[in-house]
Amino acid sequence: MQLATMAWRTLMRNKRRSVITAFSVAFGVLLSVTFTASGDYAYTNMINTSAVMGLGHLSVEHPDYQDTPTLDKRLLDAKAVQEMALQIPGVTGAQVRIMGQAMFAGGAKSVGGAFIAIDPAQETPAHNIFLRTLIAGQCFSADEEHGVVVGAKMAEKLNLRLGKKLVFTMTDTDGELVSELARVSGIFKTGDDSVDGSVVILPLALVRKGLGYEPNAASLVAIFLDDHRKAESVRGMLARFWTQNKEIAVLTWQESQPDLAGLIGVDRLFNYLLQFLVGLVIAAGIMNTLLMSVMERRREFGIMMALGMMPGQVVRLVLLESCWLGILGLILGVIITTPWFLYMATVGIDFSGQIGEDYSAGGVLVDPVMKFRLYRESAMWIAGAVFSLTIVAGIFPAFKAGRTTPVENLKQG
Amino acid sequence: MNNTPLVQLENVSRIYQQGKVQVSAVTDFSFTVQGGEFSVLCGPSGSGKTTILNLIGALDEPSQGRVLLEGRDLAELGRGDLARLRRDRIGFVFQSYNLNPVLTACENAEFVLALQNVPKALRRQRVMAVLAEVGMAELAQRRPDELSGGQQQRVAIARAIVSHPAIVLADEPTANVDSATADAILELMERLNHEQGITFLFSTHDQRVMARAHRLIHLRDGRLEHDEVRG
Repeated sequence: MQLATMAWRTLMRNKRRSVITAFSVAFGVLLSVTFTASGDYAYTNMINTSAVMGLGHLSVEHPDYQDTPTLDKRLLDAKAVQEMALQIPGVTGAQVRIMGQAMFAGGAKSVGGAFIAIDPAQETPAHNIFLRTLIAGQCFSADEEHGVVVGAKMAEKLNLRLGKKLVFTMTDTDGELVSELARVSGIFKTGDDSVDGSVVILPLALVRKGLGYEPNAASLVAIFLDDHRKAESVRGMLARFWTQNKEIAVLTWQESQPDLAGLIGVDRLFNYLLQFLVGLVIAAGIMNTLLMSVMERRREFGIMMALGMMPGQVVRLVLLESCWLGILGLILGVIITTPWFLYMATVGIDFSGQIGEDYSAGGVLVDPVMKFRLYRESAMWIAGAVFSLTIVAGIFPAFKAGRTTPVENLKQG
Repeated sequence: MNNTPLVQLENVSRIYQQGKVQVSAVTDFSFTVQGGEFSVLCGPSGSGKTTILNLIGALDEPSQGRVLLEGRDLAELGRGDLARLRRDRIGFVFQSYNLNPVLTACENAEFVLALQNVPKALRRQRVMAVLAEVGMAELAQRRPDELSGGQQQRVAIARAIVSHPAIVLADEPTANVDSATADAILELMERLNHEQGITFLFSTHDQRVMARAHRLIHLRDGRLEHDEVRG
């Protein structure tokens, strides 16, 4: 007779109590999946949205560009960087961009804003939120040297429509003001008024010429990954290419977007804290059940010890019972969580009525539809944590069972 | 030839603390048990029978005096050694059978062998032989709640003897069974003593048990009143 079998049968002696306790573990799984999966979905969504707003999951740039993003801080051979990046597994795109500040004027009005200069031959909506959210016209083509895509809010401020002229003024590498003329080929609307009122998409070639940049120079190369969690490892691989080059730095999204990283970090911490507190309450319930079961069986433990069972074996027996309870709870947890998870992963709950369509946090648009996404390591973490918590809850009752002497136990019942 | 008694109690006293009162369960008690005996500790309730069995069975410690089993002073053994001693050298039969309710008759009987890490095939073989010996082979797969009191006590006896202990301590083994079953159980134990030389020490006030005993140790108020050896 194996102790594990004995522990399982003991647990099944009081089926109702064991199943109720297992359901509390299952409820813990449900809560933990809800907290973690909503976080995994929201954080991934925010990180990916932030990436397609300009800087990518990784950005290769001049080491000083992050602190002083002036137009003289540039990569001289951005094309070579782009080609190297595209060779790395997990990289789904590498876009050469010039980013900076400019004044934009249409008719009699002008506003300050930011521009992102892109190569229309290489940019795709998958890596550029502004091309994805066009509400009028289209992105300028590769042979359309003077095209421009503006945000809906800016178009409204400057009275711009498709085909209208826009003059933008920026400072070149010599510190001189330069102006260029472009015509509106498209209008985008991301839903975030601050973005739609300040961002303009310009042709890379036109901006390079205006700034006096070298033919392959750019502010940065935005690198996109199939999974944002690979940022650190891909950064390591990229950094190896330029260990000797002091003019190139590789930044992860956490470094290039510290506000967003901080926001996610704090939110994740509260999420864990909440899960920990819920876990404690559930663990207390499990401990109570096991303790009750141990106290009821003191005479039984006395008999087993009288027959030669070591105190350590008694402890192991009770711990195995809590192990089984954990496994049973996890199985029940998977059963009750799966339909809820599938619903939330596919349909979700729409909070746009409460928070609006244009709610942003950390400078990034937040999807108003709450959905679930659970990474494999998150699922493993939940299973491990719930199981460990069940075992921890069994430690005190187990030692209680093993600590008493046989004669004390035999006097019971 | 080894003349060391199997069990030796030297001036043993056991005092329990009950609240603020000290209760003396056994006082200055000395006796020995030789291998192969079929002896009975008898006396009224509260005379100290169970306490003496607990002391011999290494379940309890004396307040004074020494308990020796096969010449080894139990006071010198640690918790682990005492557990091993109970597992390997002592068999217990309790008044209310005390079979594990989640184990079958067969699993209950092999419990001690499993603790001894006897290989599964070998222990199953030994257990089935012992269950056959006590007339329980056909009910080996039944759980305790599917057995009568007498059948449960037979399984308890099988559990006590299957590991070939030096001594079987039986605390009121006939108290919870009817007369016919009590006779059958006593007959079984007598046969095991006679044929296999297993030493039995009972605690009882059942006349049927006393009638079969080779030796009667009479107790009163925790003291030895009379040690009667029969022919």
